[in-house]
Amino acid sequence: MTSATARIGAGPAVRRPRRRRRLVAWLFIAPLAIVNLLVIGGPGLSSLLFSFTDWDGLGQANFVGIDNYVELFQSPNVLAAIWHNLLWTLFFLIVPISMALLGAFLLSRLRRGQVLFRTLYFIPYVLATIVSATVWRQILSPDAGIGAALANLGFDGLAGVNFLGDPSLALGSVAFVNNWQWWGFLLVLFLAAMQGVNPALYEAARLDGANAWREFWHITLPGIRPTLMFLVLMTVIWSFLVFDYVYILTQGGPAGSSDVLATVLYRTAFSEQRAGYASAMAMLLSSISAVVVAGYLILRKKLDWDV
Amino acid sequence: MHQKSKRWGAAVALIAAGGLLAGCASSGSSGDVTYWSAFVSKDTERYYQEHYVDAFNEQSDDTKVKMEVKQLQNLGSLTDTAVSAGRGADVVYSAGPSSALGFASAKRIDALDDYAAEYGWADKLQPWAYQASQVDGTLYSVPVEYGSIVMYYNPGVFEEHGWTVPTTLAEFEKVATEAQAAGMMPVGAGNSGYQAQSEWYLSAFLNMAVGPEKLYQALTGEAKFTDPEFVDAISLFQQQIDKKWWGGGKDRWFTNTDTDLFTGLADGTVAMYITGTWSFGDAGRYFGEAAGNDAEWDWAPLPSLSDDVAPGVYPMAIGTSLSVNSASKQADAAAEYIDFVIDDPARSYDYLAATGQNPPPLSDIASMPDTVDERSARLYTEAPESGNLGYASWTFFPAATDTYLWSEFDKIITGDLTPQAYLEGLQKVFDGELAAGKVITPFEPVPGA
Repeated sequence: MTSATARIGAGPAVRRPRRRRRLVAWLFIAPLAIVNLLVIGGPGLSSLLFSFTDWDGLGQANFVGIDNYVELFQSPNVLAAIWHNLLWTLFFLIVPISMALLGAFLLSRLRRGQVLFRTLYFIPYVLATIVSATVWRQILSPDAGIGAALANLGFDGLAGVNFLGDPSLALGSVAFVNNWQWWGFLLVLFLAAMQGVNPALYEAARLDGANAWREFWHITLPGIRPTLMFLVLMTVIWSFLVFDYVYILTQGGPAGSSDVLATVLYRTAFSEQRAGYASAMAMLLSSISAVVVAGYLILRKKLDWDV
Repeated sequence: MHQKSKRWGAAVALIAAGGLLAGCASSGSSGDVTYWSAFVSKDTERYYQEHYVDAFNEQSDDTKVKMEVKQLQNLGSLTDTAVSAGRGADVVYSAGPSSALGFASAKRIDALDDYAAEYGWADKLQPWAYQASQVDGTLYSVPVEYGSIVMYYNPGVFEEHGWTVPTTLAEFEKVATEAQAAGMMPVGAGNSGYQAQSEWYLSAFLNMAVGPEKLYQALTGEAKFTDPEFVDAISLFQQQIDKKWWGGGKDRWFTNTDTDLFTGLADGTVAMYITGTWSFGDAGRYFGEAAGNDAEWDWAPLPSLSDDVAPGVYPMAIGTSLSVNSASKQADAAAEYIDFVIDDPARSYDYLAATGQNPPPLSDIASMPDTVDERSARLYTEAPESGNLGYASWTFFPAATDTYLWSEFDKIITGDLTPQAYLEGLQKVFDGELAAGKVITPFEPVPGA
């Protein structure tokens, strides 16, 4: 009874600071929320509305129902671009993440020189995309690139290989260049996460006779799971938004062989001047990201992950 | 009561004054006229600033032009975004009449017929360019830069091989066959770095093989792009690409750049290069002393690739058109400035001589000064006089049709699309744009010119 009275008596006094804390939290969130509402919410909503019109970006927008969406899923170019995005996603889920995990794990065991390697691997990430893409275009040129240079030295295995001009190689070549810039960034993030794993766990494992692989599999990977899962999620989202390297290196060519949704969208909006149809593509891109995030949240809830 | 009527009087006076002020503002009799532009080099920008902006401001008491320089790559998209939002410069840039048509349909630019009558633009401009700048008989833009597509060649190389400039399909095939046998790329082509570059060659090929008359019929809806003449033309182009005549075929097309091809023309590895006259200004850097060789370049009109087409066709292209922003408070002054840009042939041709920039399509071609490079002077006098004028796709094709033309053509090169299927797709896109009123009315070709 006493404690109940005390709790009842303390109610308003406890609620006031709580309310204040909530208010302060809202005040902190408000500027960003307002900016997001204006910068993302407004244009997002207008894109949604325009996706049901034939707007050309200048004149009157006429309502066309779901015609743009029907055309979207019947267009061979859009379907090919979606397929390329899926291949791109698969590549970036496997190659850079594996390279970065392995690199970070090996670096984490280095006692000397870790900073040097970390810096070396990170440098490509801080280069401007236009700079690294232009350099790589030269490197991959069949006339003046690495194939020609090796041929001059007597190794003609890559001579005449047209990395960016051959439809069967273009997408893979662009992904390779993008990965060159990307994996070092992942490595640094994984390395930082690995350094947060409790060292006592490794010591205990070693006492139990665990080898490096077992340490990696049973301690490192579970220990960095929040970082890993976040980067997997972001990789999927970024892979569907990819534009810069593709546009600079191939513009989606040859013959659409490296087209991704974003390059098709760009061409549709700014070359074809079909802003309504391009808005429908933008909605598709946003929906894919939303599905990925929703899937992640559901998994997190079901598996009770602390990320 | 007296006090009340005084207040009413003051209110009426205020409204009247406001109306007068508003009238002054909309008439644009004073104040700055804004103009967005972009240049290929700082030297060209300085020349334009001095001779087209400062010179105008010095001679004008009321109106001052304020030029804002944008990046060449995004001037169009910046203008589109601003003008569609009811803003942007008073003098609106567009990349030719097809782009201006979009602004006109959206009522973002003013009709210019009154100004055209006031300044005599119909007399100052070549008829084809004036006609192409009209929408349903109303002028909406003024062309201030024009050019064409021609065949560049190295006279020394032609002389060495005993070739004459081809004018017919048979002559073209002879030079191409012999050039290939000599280990050369017969015709330069490629689209690395700029995917839309393919349309330079496509425009040329359609004009050479289909001809202006059939193109005119297709652009006005009288004929179809799926007609046999077009199918035959694209099939012939595909065959020549397969033979590796153009750009070395599909293995090289997507790797060659404009720079590679001009370099090849200079060093004798490319026999002919069919491209735009915008390169007149900087072709010199690949030839002669500037490039450390003794090569020279020259040009010739396009050959005919069909018995139905007269040799020497000039596909006409308008690179820049100017209009008056309908949101402008300085409409009269903006029109005055546009007139200044095309008013003085000597000023336009001096600009051409000094920078190599394409001049406006002026009807006065007689006053071309000696200071203009002989090759440029020849183009800008011979093309209008020949009357054999064709259509460049980026000027006369509507946006989506034009994009289809060059983007899907990649699949013709790789063999993933048949000419028939390619042209059916082109016609489908064109039909949609024609029905939506997005196709400019092309000038009428001269039959048999």
